[in-house]
Parts: sequence; C-alpha cells; structure tokens
Amino acid sequence: MNYARPTPALAIHDLRKSYGDLHALKGVTFGLQRGERLAFLGPNGAGKTTLIRCLAGLTNADHGEIFLAGRPFKSSEARKQIGFVPQEIALYADLTTRQNLEAFGRFHGLRRRALRDRLAWALKWTGLEDRADDLVGAFSGGMQRRVNLACGVMHEPRILLLDEPTVGVDPQSRQRIFMMLDELSATGTSILLTTHHLDEAEERSDRIVILDQGMVVADGPIDELVEQSVGTQRLVRLRIDRPLSAPIRAGVAEDAASFGTPGTDEISTRIDDVSNHLPGLIELVRRRGYGIADVQVEAPSLHHVFLHLTGYELRD
Amino acid sequence: MILTVLQISCRRLLHNRVELLLTFLVPIAFFSVFAIIFGGGLGRGTTPRIKVVAVDEIQSVVSSQVMSALAEQESLRFVRETDADGLKRDEAMELVRSGSATMAIILREDHEQLAAELMADASDQVAAQVVSAVVNRAIMLSEAEYQVSQLTDSEQDENEHQLAVGAVADSDSELFGIEESLQRKVEIIDVMGEGKANPVVSMYASGIAVMFLLFGATGGGGALLEERENQTLDRLLSTQMSMDQLLLGKWFYMSSIGVLQVGVMFVWAQLVFNVDLIGHLDGFLMMTVVTALAASAFGLFLATLCKSRGQLNGLSVILILTMSALGGSMVPRYLMSDELQQYGLWTFNAWALDGYTKVFWRELPVDALAPQLSVLLISGVVFLLAARLLAVRWETD
Repeated sequence: MNYARPTPALAIHDLRKSYGDLHALKGVTFGLQRGERLAFLGPNGAGKTTLIRCLAGLTNADHGEIFLAGRPFKSSEARKQIGFVPQEIALYADLTTRQNLEAFGRFHGLRRRALRDRLAWALKWTGLEDRADDLVGAFSGGMQRRVNLACGVMHEPRILLLDEPTVGVDPQSRQRIFMMLDELSATGTSILLTTHHLDEAEERSDRIVILDQGMVVADGPIDELVEQSVGTQRLVRLRIDRPLSAPIRAGVAEDAASFGTPGTDEISTRIDDVSNHLPGLIELVRRRGYGIADVQVEAPSLHHVFLHLTGYELRD
Repeated sequence: MILTVLQISCRRLLHNRVELLLTFLVPIAFFSVFAIIFGGGLGRGTTPRIKVVAVDEIQSVVSSQVMSALAEQESLRFVRETDADGLKRDEAMELVRSGSATMAIILREDHEQLAAELMADASDQVAAQVVSAVVNRAIMLSEAEYQVSQLTDSEQDENEHQLAVGAVADSDSELFGIEESLQRKVEIIDVMGEGKANPVVSMYASGIAVMFLLFGATGGGGALLEERENQTLDRLLSTQMSMDQLLLGKWFYMSSIGVLQVGVMFVWAQLVFNVDLIGHLDGFLMMTVVTALAASAFGLFLATLCKSRGQLNGLSVILILTMSALGGSMVPRYLMSDELQQYGLWTFNAWALDGYTKVFWRELPVDALAPQLSVLLISGVVFLLAARLLAVRWETD
C-alpha cells in the first residue's frame, strides 16, 4: 500500500514486539486513512491486543515506526490524537455518568467551557441524558459500553482504538454502538477496532486487516479479500436422497470432473455462474439415479476468507 | 445440599492460596508476636528494664550504699551514671519529663531519716510499683547493714541471740511503727499527670490512629490495583496523565483522608475523653500530616509490589498487625523487652506514638518532634520512590 498521499491518519511500518521467546508482532505494516473504519481480525494469540496496546502507548514496541498524521508517535502532540476504549468496562462504577465523563474529559486535558460542551455532547450522543446522575455500576452492559465508548472520545481524537467494543452486548445495544461509531466516522475520526464478530467486520468496516501469528495476512476491503483468497465462485451443496456409491463423473474422459465422496449424502462444489451451471449439475446428479433432497448456495464470506487464510475458525 | 455448599466452600478455600494463608498464618503470626512480647518466647526477651536516674541529696554512708545497691539492680537501667557529678533534682525531673528516663529516684532526708521520692511518669503504670519496691528494699537493707556495722561485739551477739529464739514484737504498736516508717521512706510523685486526662487514652488514641492510617492506606492502594485489573489504569495511562501524576494524586488523596480520619478521632477523644487536642494543635497537626503521608506512601508501595488485590490484602494484614503489635499500637512498648523495643523502631507505629506522646503527654515544644518527623518523612519519601520504581512495569507492560 502506498501511504505517501494523502498523509494517512496512522501509518505503521515493520512493528515488532516480543515477550521473551514469544514473538507477538513480527513486522506489522499497514495504514489507516482519515475517516476510515478498519476491522482487525485474527485468532486468539494473533497479536491484535499487543498491536492495540502499542498504538495506545501502553506497550513499547521493540522495533518499527508509528506515525500519527505524519508525526512520530512519541511526540506529546501525537498522543493527544488517540482515543482508546479497552475491552473491559474501564469506568468508575461508583461515579455517575456525568462524573465519569467529566473525569476522563479532564484526564484528556479538557477544561472549563470545552469540558462542559463536550460533556453535554457526550450525554446526548450516548442517549443517556436522563441517566446522567445515576451510578454507572447500576447500568446494563449495553449502557455501560456506551459510557465506556464516550469516555474514550471526550477529547475528539483523530484515531479511535477499540478492543472488542461490543463483547457481551445484546443486538440492540450493538446496533446502537455502531451507529455511534458511524457518527464519529462521518466527522472524520478514523476507527480501528478488533472484533470476533465477522458480520460486524463485514458490514461495519471499510477495510479489514487479518492478523495471524504476529503478521498481516490480508489487508483490504471485503470484496478484494474474497477475490484474492477464495475467489468469487459460489459454494454449492447438494444433499441427495442416499449415500453415494461412487463419485459422480461429469463425463467419460479421464480428466472429467467428479463430485462427491462415496458413503456421504452431500455433494459440494464451487461454480462460477449459478444460473447457468447449477441446473446442469442437478441434472447430472439425477441422471446418475440420485434424488435431490436439498440445495444450498453460499456466497463467499469473510468467514471463508478467514478460514482459508488462517486455517482456523475465528474463536480457535 | 448443605454438604455440597460446605464442600464447594472448602475447595474454593484450598484453591485460593492467599486466602488460605490469611486464614491460618495470620493468627499464628499475631499470636507469636504477643507471645514474644509477654512470654519471652524463642528464648529471647527479658523483663523490660526501667530507665531511671538517681540523685543523692544526702551524700551519707547509707545513701551511698543505697545508690550502689540500686546500680546493681537488673530491673533498672540508669540513663546517667549513679555517681554522675552535678545531677540535680531539677535536671532529673527534666529527664523524666522529656522521656529520657521513666523515673527519677531522689534520696533525701526526712526528719533525720533517709527517704526517697520517686518522680514518676504516670503513663508507665508498672514502673512506679516496681521501682518503689526496689528502692524500699535497697533502703531497708542498707540501713540494716549500717546499723549492724555500728553495733559493738556484745550488742551483735545479743542481736543474733534474739533472732535465733524468734523474738517477736510484743505489741501491735511496734509493728505499726515499722510499717509506718516503711511507708514514709518512699513517696511516688507524678510529675507528668497533673491536670491531664488518663495518659492511656491519648496513647491508645495515637496507637489506633496509626494502625487505621495504615489500613486505610492499603485500602487506597487496593483501589489502584482494582483499576489495573479492570483496565481503568490502562485507560488512564493512555490519556495525558502520567504515572507520576497518578501516584502523586493517589498519595495526596490517601494522606488527606488519613489526616481527616485521625482528626475526627481526636476530636471525639477531646469531647468524650478530655484529651486536650486544642491545646496541642500544632504538634498534633505536624505529627498527623507526616504520619499520614508516610502511611499512604507505604500503602502505595505495597500496592505496586503486589499483583492482585488478594495478594495485597493478605500481605497488608500480616504486616500491619505485626507492625502495630511491635510498634505499641496494641500493647505499650514499655512492657516489651529492650530487644523487642528496638525491633519496634522499625515500625511507623513506634515513631508516631513517640511523637504523639511528646505532644500530648510530655507537652514538649514542636522542635522536640524533629527525630520522629524526620524518620517518618524520610520513610514516606523512600516508600513513594520505591512505589514509583515498581510502577514502571505497569507502564511498559
């Protein structure tokens, strides 16, 4: 990727980090444009949390460079541009919503009018104006997540780092949180989040980076990733009325395609053009004496891409 | 069902080593400390020697014998030599008032008889009784020896004969006369307690105050660990706040709460137990602020040393209870052996108690608090620096 123009909001080059013999990051390079939403995927132990912690300034990388809007990461000005929302609900449960927002606003350097204005905005943005003076500890998980998110953006950061922002949250609250993130993105905030929800990554991000064993194995929009890995072919599954006695061959030639595994009642294959090729496949199976019990056509998804690139299910 | 609950609880305890340690080790440790203090356990620790000075205002043969006899007493420790020239009554009293000595023994003449005045610090309620008995005995024996030495040979023989046949007093008046003469000989004068409330009250107020300052400080430190565990600390360190600022903020908060806590307790002591807080406000404030700062730094140090709140709870309970026992928060240090009293000087409690005693009991000027204030301040700074060094690993995890 060419990060030269325009100046990316975030540029990481060859980032490495080891904990003793464990190499958590083995040369990670990617960029994040202004207003872009980037989803970070990877199996457990891939290095996602280490990367987030390096970007949040909580862990020092052993090697590599990080630039924020073209400035070296370690400058105090650059640090002000980052917002961090940890996976845990990192709030003061015995303070109210307003008090939590005010505290973290102050920690981010806001004072007086700027703090007041931002506090009013945050209460409205989270939809918790009527719960402003209630203790956060009494809130539901979804409400706490909203406050957790708001405390990370009080200072209007250019880049927002979120570590699994919707874990343990009901679907309505997840929807709400992503609406909030969309609003931020629309104002130019770049968002980098880690998630285990593939549907979230597919639907809510502009670009996906897949990390595996400390290295970037894929980086791009979902369509590109699909095309580069599993391709655009559709996966077709036919369930037949009885187990196959032998593979079904498409012709008599030695190199003719064959489908199915003897002893199983499912035939799966990939085809480029469903409308043209699927009827032919069904007819072929019937001519071989088998009835069709069910037909499934699956478009390639991020799940397939992930499995193809890493060999794991996302939670492995 | 009940058995299952019991079973689960036991298993959870066995899996939680800190809690297991706390449950069984702390009572053993605490008991051992008290056993050493009172029982001379481990073969060490002897009856505490009482710090005294003596003034011979008579300078007679008998009084010199009494001084020599007292110097040989194992229960007494003379902070000035018995034959020190020029030690006067006023100087001796000042040594008692300043705490350098627990008692001043003044040998004087009373109706042509040898008598003794014991200038006592009433805060040590045991010393007066012990020294009185010792001085009484010394006087009686010295006078008896002198009288025997003055008898002629024939008078000595008669005396021995009388003793051999077991002669007894032939009237109660003779006995009464002997008792009366004994009572006249030794008089205890409290040079400290006049006009003051029970000294034990202010001593215990101080002891309890320091103990709870330490508990409060470790509680505050626990909050820091809790923030670390729920990633609030990570969030804080990702803001513009530095670890220095965070620790200093925690330190000032814990110290402020500690000062308020002790202040409220002493106000109560003034209202209910007549401890004169208002009259000693300057010394009280100085001691309280410095002790709170030191205790808070200690709490932060323990928090940064531990990996979890459970570890901190276990460690702090053991340390604080032991320090409080050795330092005099629970049992007056004058009841401990010299060796244990020396160990006690490694605790906040001992120094803080000494300081409060100087303020409320001895009513010394604030410059007399210099040793206590210095030790507590220095320990506070050392523990704070140590906490900062240990917190580096949280920054660069």
